[in-house]
Amino acid sequence: MKYSGRSIKRLYDDKFVTGRSSYVDDLQVSAMHAGFVRSPYAHAKIKSIDTSEALKSPGIVAVFTYKDFSPLLKRGIGIWETYEDPKQWKFVARKALADNKVRFVGEPVAIVIGSDKYSVRDAVDKVNVDYERLPSAVSMEDALKDKVIIHEELGTNVGFDSTFSGGDVEGSFKQADKIISVEITNNRLIPSPMEPRGIIASYESGTLNVWYSTQVPHAARSEFSKVLGIPSSKIRVIMPDVGGAFGSKVNIMPEDLSVVLSSIKLGRPVKWVATRSEEMLASEARHNTFKGEVAVKSDGTVLGIKGDLLVDLGSYLTYTAPLQPAIIPLMIPSAYRIRSASIRSRAIYTNTPPITMYRGASRPEATFIIERIMSTVADELKLDDVEVREKNLVKPDEVPYTNVFGLKYDSGDYISLLRSGVNKLGYYDMRKYAEEERKKGRKVGVGMAFYLEISGFGPWEYGEVRVDENGDVIVITGGTPHGQGTETAIAQLVSDALQVDISRIRIVWGDTEIVASSMGTYGSRTISAAGSAAQVAASQVLEKMKKVAARIMKVDVEEVEYREGEFINKKDERVKVSWDDVAKAGYTGTDPGIYAQVTLQGDVTFPYGVHVALVEVDDYGIVRVKEYKAYDDIGNVINPALAEGQIMGGTVQAVGQAIYEEAIINDDGGLAVTYADYFIPTPVEVPQITSFFAEKPHVSAYPVGSKGVGEAALIVGPAAIVRAIENAVNKPINKTPVRPEDLI
Amino acid sequence: MLVRPGEKVKVKVKVNGIWYEKEVEPRKLLVHFIREDIGLTGTKIGCDTSTCGACTIIMNGKSVKSCTLFAFQANGAEITTIEGIGDSKLHPIQEAFKDNFALQCGYCTPGMIMQTYFLLKTNPNPTEEEIKDGLHGNICRCTGYQNIIKAVKDAAGRMR
Repeated sequence: MKYSGRSIKRLYDDKFVTGRSSYVDDLQVSAMHAGFVRSPYAHAKIKSIDTSEALKSPGIVAVFTYKDFSPLLKRGIGIWETYEDPKQWKFVARKALADNKVRFVGEPVAIVIGSDKYSVRDAVDKVNVDYERLPSAVSMEDALKDKVIIHEELGTNVGFDSTFSGGDVEGSFKQADKIISVEITNNRLIPSPMEPRGIIASYESGTLNVWYSTQVPHAARSEFSKVLGIPSSKIRVIMPDVGGAFGSKVNIMPEDLSVVLSSIKLGRPVKWVATRSEEMLASEARHNTFKGEVAVKSDGTVLGIKGDLLVDLGSYLTYTAPLQPAIIPLMIPSAYRIRSASIRSRAIYTNTPPITMYRGASRPEATFIIERIMSTVADELKLDDVEVREKNLVKPDEVPYTNVFGLKYDSGDYISLLRSGVNKLGYYDMRKYAEEERKKGRKVGVGMAFYLEISGFGPWEYGEVRVDENGDVIVITGGTPHGQGTETAIAQLVSDALQVDISRIRIVWGDTEIVASSMGTYGSRTISAAGSAAQVAASQVLEKMKKVAARIMKVDVEEVEYREGEFINKKDERVKVSWDDVAKAGYTGTDPGIYAQVTLQGDVTFPYGVHVALVEVDDYGIVRVKEYKAYDDIGNVINPALAEGQIMGGTVQAVGQAIYEEAIINDDGGLAVTYADYFIPTPVEVPQITSFFAEKPHVSAYPVGSKGVGEAALIVGPAAIVRAIENAVNKPINKTPVRPEDLI
Repeated sequence: MLVRPGEKVKVKVKVNGIWYEKEVEPRKLLVHFIREDIGLTGTKIGCDTSTCGACTIIMNGKSVKSCTLFAFQANGAEITTIEGIGDSKLHPIQEAFKDNFALQCGYCTPGMIMQTYFLLKTNPNPTEEEIKDGLHGNICRCTGYQNIIKAVKDAAGRMR
């Protein structure tokens, strides 16, 4: 009855398929509704705000502006200090609502509270804001000139400026047979989970309850505590069903804070659920450009890389945005043995919607940059894509390997995976097929890309296992699954550890008053970090039960063995007690109670893989991704169907990033697309997706040995698809998304 | 119908077999009526451009995005929502979605299932292309659709 390694069906699907799911907007809380007055300008001084007409509107309870909230704020919203260093940053912590000026189109200026969302919408239009327009800096190039300063206190628009160096860069360029220039851009995206963000805040008698569409209830509690000066013991954050997040819901937004503040001021529950249009402004992602040079030998060996990375921040530093400029450079060397590199990374404030993070956050950018470099090297030297990569990959006997910037890769055999991957995926046959088709006049192309990912982020995760007096099991996890199905995988691990039927296990998460502590679900870490913590807690619970069994059987605990629901006397196997009897006895006599809490430390791990795409381009430049194949070493696979689901979902987001999705910002700083023309792929745009996992995986140091799969396909997919397009049209491409007009 | 400013209109609809009669503002969207006035929150709202299909319901035998209609336009109509398919046990489409890992976050799922329900009523044996075409007004951000397409094929088999 081993569950791990099998595609066990998801445990809690019934409520979702029957419409009994309960996202924030579905909660039956008698709350006032909130709406936001938003800036129509990218950069303007707020001269005055007149709320009198709005307050006369039927059903309107209050209109608050910055002035109403600022006395309640100890500070603004900070950054994610678990992973980000505030000392490296120039930033002004973002307050709830704009202060004396607005810095992007859509910035919330006032919050309107009323009895229903229609009345609130009417009143939003009646708030009269007098602006004085200021010149704006919408593009990174403009902002870099520092002619328009977005945050005067900082004196510059450069929020981060750090050069990552290692090895003898100048020496490597002197030894080079050829120096190749590259320019590579990832354009701006919108994460777009199906459920827009939402929050209900209820403040009474000094206690704050928050129902929040979040990935990080404990981090949110901590941030609310710091910002509001309310002890975290008096704040409860509850994560209901969350309809996707992809990193965007790690962020605590000024709108969220404004709702909490309104609840405090009014002493009543207040609710806000973003419209899709609001969601598209609240949280954008990516947007960066790398310009550099690559020193190569004529056999394809990459000796060194140097260059400049510019990362857009939008108008404010969000909770998660500091990750990208700090991690992209570290990951550019990927799994390649590049011993000299110097990358200056700068992050720039612009008068645009703030950048947060989106699935992969920094690894898709880094992977696109290094894979474009490898493909460009192959083209320039007339070498095969696979050959160039094989030449440069770190060899198995060099792993664990420390990259040029000091990042230590834990385990893997990159070359073997590349070789077996291209065979297994039929890469060369596909290339041949594409070549034959091109001879017939069709623009068919095949591309490959390799990736090494950093995932499984620590520093720790929480797991608790309780066995009740009936022998049923509750697992409380610090993971915060919101679609991945990792709750099922955690149940599989605990079932195996306890050798009990999975139907006896219930997984609970996402409430700061039930879960003692938690990091959460992000960065492909849940099975590795939260799964391991639950597994360790389960083994501790079993030790406790052995003690109880020993007491019942009147033997030493060392003499007790546990097998398949029975505690057995090793010396006389006829003497045994059942799981249920031990559970019952665990709540009588001395030392009652069967539970274990574990806060398990852990550190990053490095999955890797090779993906292949097949595309066809028509005469109008419209690309169809027809086939997509993945071969990944993600460590131990606990539930193959769930893991495959992550590859398939990531693949379709990769299709979006590669050829459809772009948050186009017009010259005035406005978002120029709606949800309808931002163009999230529909079923019609989906390729045939095939996913394989390495038969002999290289495990992580986490007890469950998994590495993580949540982000893999979006990390490497755009590079593979873009390479396939180049193959189809025989034209170099250096950005995502690739537009029809780029191809005709 | 003439409605003066500030006046409400009477809407009588049959939802999942039960008649409801309510007075609503004429501008109220059908999806808000279903979720707020009737209290059936299985029908979700994912966008404000009638793009995502999370609010798909069956009205008078046809699938509609319930954000594209005002509640009063449903006056006299018979509506089926996600809560109204399957009786004491799951509908074969719901079973097929579960068995094929056709959902992740679940937010698009009610709309996907209702659109599938309509598709299989009109075309009990769809090809893969017909399934893709039939669901192209429903967006899922998590699954990559492949398992949804599998589930629809599976459901078609179960319902034959």
